Amino acid sequence: MTSSNAVVDVHGLEKTYGKVNERQYQALKGLNFQVASGEFVGIMGASGSGKTTLLNMLSTLDVPTKGDVIVNGHDVTKMRGNQLADFRAQEVGFIFQDFNLLESLTAEENIGLPLALKGTSSKIMDQAIHEVAETLSIADLLQKYPSELSGGQKQRVAAARAIVHHPSILMGDEPTGALDSTSARELLDLLTTINQEQHMSVLLVTHDPFSASFCQRILFIKDGLIGSEIRRGDQDRSAFYQQILNELGTFNE
Amino acid sequence: MLGKLALAGIKNRRRDYLVLLAGLTMSAAIFYMFANLATNKAFVKANGVVGQSMLIFGFGAVLLILITIVYIMYANSFLLSMRQHDYGLFMMLGAKKRRIGQLVFLETLILGAVATAIGIVLGLLMSRFLVGFLLNALGLHLAHLESFYLPAIIATAVLYVGLFILASLFNLVKLTRTTVLKLLHTDEQANQPQVKPIRQMIAGIVGIVLLAAGYWALANIKAFQIAAIPFAIVTITLGTYLLFRATLLTIIRWLRQTKWAKKHLNGFLMGQLNFRVYNYTRMLTIVSLLFAMDLGAITVGSGYHRQLPMMADSLGSYTVAIHDKTAKEQQLISKLDVAHQATYTQKRQGKTVFYNAAEFKQQPYEFNEGEMTPKYEKKTAAQMKSTDLNSLDFLNLAVLGQNNLYAPKMLSATKFARQSGKTVPVTTIRVKNIEKDRTTLKKLNQLELARFPHASELTVGNYQSYELMLAFFGGLEFMGYFLGIAFLAMLASCLMFKILSGAPGDKRRYRMLYKVGVRHNLMRNGIAKEIGILFMIPGIMGVIDVLFGLQMFKPLMPKPMSPYLGIGSTFAIFIGLYAIYYLITLALYWQIVLPQAPAQAQAEHK
Repeated sequence: MTSSNAVVDVHGLEKTYGKVNERQYQALKGLNFQVASGEFVGIMGASGSGKTTLLNMLSTLDVPTKGDVIVNGHDVTKMRGNQLADFRAQEVGFIFQDFNLLESLTAEENIGLPLALKGTSSKIMDQAIHEVAETLSIADLLQKYPSELSGGQKQRVAAARAIVHHPSILMGDEPTGALDSTSARELLDLLTTINQEQHMSVLLVTHDPFSASFCQRILFIKDGLIGSEIRRGDQDRSAFYQQILNELGTFNE
Repeated sequence: MLGKLALAGIKNRRRDYLVLLAGLTMSAAIFYMFANLATNKAFVKANGVVGQSMLIFGFGAVLLILITIVYIMYANSFLLSMRQHDYGLFMMLGAKKRRIGQLVFLETLILGAVATAIGIVLGLLMSRFLVGFLLNALGLHLAHLESFYLPAIIATAVLYVGLFILASLFNLVKLTRTTVLKLLHTDEQANQPQVKPIRQMIAGIVGIVLLAAGYWALANIKAFQIAAIPFAIVTITLGTYLLFRATLLTIIRWLRQTKWAKKHLNGFLMGQLNFRVYNYTRMLTIVSLLFAMDLGAITVGSGYHRQLPMMADSLGSYTVAIHDKTAKEQQLISKLDVAHQATYTQKRQGKTVFYNAAEFKQQPYEFNEGEMTPKYEKKTAAQMKSTDLNSLDFLNLAVLGQNNLYAPKMLSATKFARQSGKTVPVTTIRVKNIEKDRTTLKKLNQLELARFPHASELTVGNYQSYELMLAFFGGLEFMGYFLGIAFLAMLASCLMFKILSGAPGDKRRYRMLYKVGVRHNLMRNGIAKEIGILFMIPGIMGVIDVLFGLQMFKPLMPKPMSPYLGIGSTFAIFIGLYAIYYLITLALYWQIVLPQAPAQAQAEHK
């Protein structure tokens, strides 16, 4: 894999919390990895391993202490203010554990938000919303408010919002964390479909082996560094699931 | 332990508490200032027609108490909104409800007691300086005005502490009755109003009919007498409420479907307003009414102030009459902006004052024939009838003593030359603007009175009438301004607290927007618009209420005076003050709600 077709290129990423003259905590200690365009990558690790910190860096919600993060050719560590906001709005699609839907807006308005921010014309917006709603089978939910939706439905709406503007990468932070097993499975199938049919790169942060088994490649983070990496290759999902469990078993010791 | 935790919670939000405390302190200070004036009988009696001014002060007191109750209610809800998450957490961790109840009760009461105490002290200082400043600006002098008045302190303390005990009890009941889960997640609940178009249309129509009925009653106050006021208050309140509920939601719903709503944050703004307006209808109604009463009070107060010179001008034909003017008086006269000036020679003999008809041929005397508007008519001696000679205006040119005037008589030039008696030249002066020349006129008047004293119940010239009316209406006018400013401060704070109590919930929403990639300035502008609209709704309604409500004062202000005269500047000042509250609310809201950019977080590490 060369860095030229990489959608995410992380190099020497460090993050230290706490001020210089205070007690400091180093969450990331020099991370290196790449995600190729169209790849479905999982990041696993125990609580406190630095998963969320890493995702915050990738999505520009937080700023690294040292190192480079290049997403789709943009060095996000050099960005400031509006550039950061625009980057998040245009290059990244997000799915959060707690959905992050705006409850004062209908599902349709929630999904349309990234397009509205871009200033897309309402005709194109309607078209894009209905297209993505068909794909995720939520067309009949568009006029409802989040409070009228189930957890699984909410997460599908959130997924629709994450991909409606065709970002270069879809990032999920424990997206199945708040879902029952059926809804979780449906969502993961959906992410796989999006990845395969729309060739969208997906980066999934999770500590759940079942969710991770949908990925093509998994990076294990331990104490702020990439500990190991496994690939699914040609195995079926259940075999890969077993491999993940084995890896976790040895990895955590 | 729990007490310590609660204290730590307060420390973390000290900025919000300061706002709350400042608001409550201001409210208590304003109430003290008012109570100081209203309960001080010596002051009230000395400044105005006794019965009437007591009524006005009583009416003012009732309004002020009402708004204070509303105000504390909203301040309290702001307090509760800040604290319920913390208290929910304590309960989840196993704190007993009884203990939490005690804490809530104590916290509210202590906050209230501190605010009341500081407020009274501030009120004392403000009475000392602000009231004096206001009186100066209005050119009034009020007797028996003291800043320290014990009954007022007691009244303020009793009212505020009483209200805070009620508020504490309310919080206690509310917190202990709500489930822990609800307390923890109140921020996340957003009710979406159900819209029923036909019902809304009916509500809207009924609302407009009620409003029209209220305005109509006010305009016809002559026919309905005092009953028009309670009738109008009820119909306008209900009408405003229905109109807000029906039309605002319909407008928002319609806007949401337009292309405009699909640009940038407009859709989000409309979504926010949709459930805010629904939940705020009662509040917006109250604020719009208070806004109206308030603006009305200031408008009427300033209206009287502006129109007093006009009223004075309509009473006679000259502003001052100077007898046998000295060099010093002449110097003062030269400073005046004179509209008309004439000098006649008087010869006073016994009880008669003689005038030279030739002088009146040369410079005819100007009689004011207008009823309400001055209408000057020049008359020579030949044109004067006995009614003219015996008009008070003309008689007053020669005052003999207590309730005693010389009888005027016209003589031909030759007869006048032969007439014996004390010769006194009298100069009548009419200035263009009494108010502008007031200080010069005052000096002139003093010099004149020192040489030609006359009974105090007698006024000579429009200047003296003006001074008399100023003293007469002074109390009324002062009340208008005072209540106006006090109300504005309180109603705008009510709105501020209501909006701010929604801020913790919005914090989460803006955090989401931030994550999704909304630009910082887009969020800032969005908040500015949202809060701006919430301030504008009651403002606009209040202005409309006032424009109609001023009809009520038409019978009290006969033409050419009008309650609508020069309201532009009053409105501008008022709206300016209101806008300041908007800006304060906005700044606080930005503080609470806007997410911190990571660049700032990074700066801390370096």
